[in-house]
Amino acid sequence: MNDRVPKRLVARARHRLVVRLTIIGVAVAIAMVAGAATFVFWGAYNVSALQQHTEPVYTLLNTALNRSIRQRAEDIEVPPLDDPAMAEQGLRYYREKCVQCHGAPGISRDDVGKGMTPVPSNLAHTARSRSPAEIFWTIKHGIKMTGMPSWQFIFTDAEIWEIVAFLMQMPRLSPADYQAWVAEVKKASTSATPPVSTPDPERGRLAMYGYACIACHRIPGLVGPQVDVGPPLEGIGERRYIAGVLTNNFDNMVHWLQHPTEVDPLTAMPDLGVTEQDAMNIAAYLSLLD
Amino acid sequence: MTTKPAFSVLLMPLFFAVGCNESEVMSLPGDPAKGKMAIAAYGCGSCHAIPGILGANGRTGPPLERIAERTYLAGVLPNTPEQMMRWIRIPEAIDPLTAMPNMDVSVNDARDITAYLYTLK
Repeated sequence: MNDRVPKRLVARARHRLVVRLTIIGVAVAIAMVAGAATFVFWGAYNVSALQQHTEPVYTLLNTALNRSIRQRAEDIEVPPLDDPAMAEQGLRYYREKCVQCHGAPGISRDDVGKGMTPVPSNLAHTARSRSPAEIFWTIKHGIKMTGMPSWQFIFTDAEIWEIVAFLMQMPRLSPADYQAWVAEVKKASTSATPPVSTPDPERGRLAMYGYACIACHRIPGLVGPQVDVGPPLEGIGERRYIAGVLTNNFDNMVHWLQHPTEVDPLTAMPDLGVTEQDAMNIAAYLSLLD
Repeated sequence: MTTKPAFSVLLMPLFFAVGCNESEVMSLPGDPAKGKMAIAAYGCGSCHAIPGILGANGRTGPPLERIAERTYLAGVLPNTPEQMMRWIRIPEAIDPLTAMPNMDVSVNDARDITAYLYTLK
């Protein structure tokens, strides 16, 4: 029987099937694009900090985060961390900058660290589950979209290792141990500033992320909210005045970046605690914008 | 029957994108067209880059693109039409350190200039 079905009919049926499948495929693709567009533009996604991800999404994001950190921490050389003086200095920094979000043994986090998604980690747990290199990388670079900032423009590498040295002790500290240690250490001593080296524009570009410059300025070469709180910095290398008050040259720019309110007490640009090296690097980058 | 709603959903993003560009009408009484001429007459463009003004490509002060959106004027003054008029007329009274000179701009001209600058979004 089958042999008697004309080949022409078989070919036509096959052709029709291919056409139908193609139409279905295209329709599905269009529906997916339309669905994604609707999801984005209609505001269907709830960005509330209390609206936790679904379990599968949470697991997926967490896996991506863990792998990303592990990958990047691989080549970091870990210095000896067992010097108690090192951990003690780390504790000072920890109390200044970390306890607010992460808490400490027996110490609650401040309000900023409570309603966040993802929730800032308990670092006694982190110290047990991550390597010193991974913790170092995380403090130095921060984690996008988590609230964890990059600290590399606040702390030197040596200071970050001191924080790591302290964190590695944390799982062994009872709340009472922690309190006793805190009572021992005095107010953080100022650390020696590293010698200034040649201005590095690329490092300056990164520093403008690190000091949150993009929160107020549009800066060519940097991705950001693109707002006009202050003036756009396009062409700043060629501009004659800085902030309309200071002749634009390298030294003046470094001074302005470090101490804007000293230059003009009326300015809305705040003193951001920019180090001399970072200011030189930023000035080097800005001087290239023509 | 079913294709119509599906189609409108597809077009939805486009609809929103267009909706954002709707320009709002400025309530300031100044005349932007006159302001444009005043800007040329006072030579503002020799120090500022100003969109829409022929030859206004100065690099002494900041560019005035999107100045209507700027949060602070001259980095010191909350940006409102009234403040902008004051700044244009007597900048040195607002920030004694400023390099921007007093150009003896009349009140009417300052109002028109402000009206024009507020079209720059």
